[in-house]
Amino acid sequence: MSGKAYRPPEQGKAGQIFDSIFLLVLVYAVLFAPLVLGLTGGGTITKTVEEPTWEALGQNPTMAAQWEKLGFTPETAAEMITTRFDYTINPWALLLTAAVILGYFIFLIKFSEKEYREVINERFGEKK
Amino acid sequence: MSSTDTAGQDRQRISLLRVLGPAHVWALGVGIVLVGEFMGWNFSVGKGGAMGSLIACWVIGLLYTCVAMIDSEVTSTVAAAGGQYAQAKHIMGPLMAFNVGLYLVMAYTMLEAADALVVGDLLSSVAGEMGHDALDPRPFVVLTIAALAWLNYRGVLMTLTVNFVITAAAFISIVVLFLGVQPWNPGHMLQHRELLTDLPYGWIGVIAAFQFGIWYYLGIEGTCQAAEEVRSPARSLPYGTMSGIITLLIAATMTWYVATGLLPWEFLGQAATPLYDAARVTGSTALQVFLFIGTTFAAIASANGCINDASRAWFSMGRDRYMPLWFGAVHPRYRTPYRAILFLIPIAVSFSFTGLLDQVITFSILSGLLGYTFMPVNMWMFRRKWPLGSIRRGYVHPFHPLPAIVLLLLCITTYFATFLGYGTQLLAMMCFYIVASLWFTFHRYKYVRRGDQFTMPWSRPRGY
Amino acid sequence: MDLWNIFEYAAWGISGLLLLWMLFDAVQVNRDFSEELLTSSREGELEDTTEKHELT
Repeated sequence: MSGKAYRPPEQGKAGQIFDSIFLLVLVYAVLFAPLVLGLTGGGTITKTVEEPTWEALGQNPTMAAQWEKLGFTPETAAEMITTRFDYTINPWALLLTAAVILGYFIFLIKFSEKEYREVINERFGEKK
Repeated sequence: MSSTDTAGQDRQRISLLRVLGPAHVWALGVGIVLVGEFMGWNFSVGKGGAMGSLIACWVIGLLYTCVAMIDSEVTSTVAAAGGQYAQAKHIMGPLMAFNVGLYLVMAYTMLEAADALVVGDLLSSVAGEMGHDALDPRPFVVLTIAALAWLNYRGVLMTLTVNFVITAAAFISIVVLFLGVQPWNPGHMLQHRELLTDLPYGWIGVIAAFQFGIWYYLGIEGTCQAAEEVRSPARSLPYGTMSGIITLLIAATMTWYVATGLLPWEFLGQAATPLYDAARVTGSTALQVFLFIGTTFAAIASANGCINDASRAWFSMGRDRYMPLWFGAVHPRYRTPYRAILFLIPIAVSFSFTGLLDQVITFSILSGLLGYTFMPVNMWMFRRKWPLGSIRRGYVHPFHPLPAIVLLLLCITTYFATFLGYGTQLLAMMCFYIVASLWFTFHRYKYVRRGDQFTMPWSRPRGY
Repeated sequence: MDLWNIFEYAAWGISGLLLLWMLFDAVQVNRDFSEELLTSSREGELEDTTEKHELT
């Protein structure tokens, strides 16, 4: 651990503020924006039932009684009951997602390894 | 304090306080997670039906058992604030550590946002029942976050002592509800025979339910964030974590049993406050009041623990210059990472304001899940770089590498589960971490001191 | 205007006060203490100073 140690530049005030703002922007642009723009969320489909009754919605008397205790009528509960997730798999989307996750982890492990060797060499000295 | 005082203190060091015992660790771990029984877990019913949710609860319970085993071994050896972040830094390297730190911050901040959202929702539904329509939940969201941030700002011992009390109260409210519906008398209040249906989506729905099955337990690994403030981390942390998992398994089973016996699954799958609604259906005002208090307390305890954990992770990253050094500051009087606490408030508040509970929760779940994917890899490297006997470990988990393999397989399945129904959000989240990683590698890392990152008194890792 | 409206305003008010208090305190601390002292904590260094809580 002699003169060979890496001496990082000190980051000034402006740089620190810029970096903090960059992170905030990243959070809002990538995570918050899709959420409020409605791009994300449950991939669901809703069937409409004409003249909903508890029977038409497939609810037995016990279920109907519980719905009513919760303050629902067949009309107000219809959408909740008929909304279903759409689990049809688009193979390309699945492949893309898998590739992104795998690629991300490979990138992480590879670069971490490189940086880790530097850390160890500086901490324990170059390997003889 | 006058400025003359500070002149003499320039050489001084200040640090976090080491004041916590095992009960605080339990309160931190369970306090964060227990809210998962009051809200959020029920979205797994929506994705796979009531039986699907129960299967998810058990399978994900296995995932967390692996997490607890692996984490206890590494944490009892690497005891530093930042938990898994410090582990990654010592075992896998800086970029991984940066990402793990971000996972922690995002998982807890989003969970905190979800908690505050539920407090707001619950109050407006109570106001609605008492005849006041359209109560604005936002002031209560802000109040929850602001008050808890203030508590955290003022000191960790007080924060976690408060958490212990309200977590215990929330746990008792689940037990009271369980006893109140007379489980020994099926058909009287609980209608499992009539309400339980076949799997609405078949087995793919069961897999899809794994996504929210995570919510039964998410955050229990947060116990090791407190490592620098616990009096004897090597003993307290595994002990607090294990007792926490047991508490949660009991609470999760009771919750599932009561809720599915009272509510039709279509309702349960979309409810914001399922246990409170279950109490409402019983027709007993006393139970309703109990569960109102329980839900509020659980949400507050959780948000409280989340602020504690997220700010400590952010602080640790600032201290190492992974984030601007400015965040690595400790408050000289209260000894808390006060700047990190302040910085995260607006993020939590704005995500809470969206009102999209299932999606905010999904961000939290995904960040947690990425962290669990890191653990098995981390474990392999830990055993390879420092074989048993080369350094002192507080705890050694049995059957290595079986838990690591099981954990990795379950993580992959859960990514697939999230892809089903929440695919866009999964990609958005990945996009966030990829951009952040590029930023770190090509810009941020130049400010980091290399050798200083390794702070444990260990021998040189094998093979380096 | 009923009780719930009052709660709404009270909640806004109290949160505003708490946030301001924290901001104010943070600014004051920044002024009264040197940046070097505030950022002087180091990872893993606590082992030796377990029971020394005072800042003197």
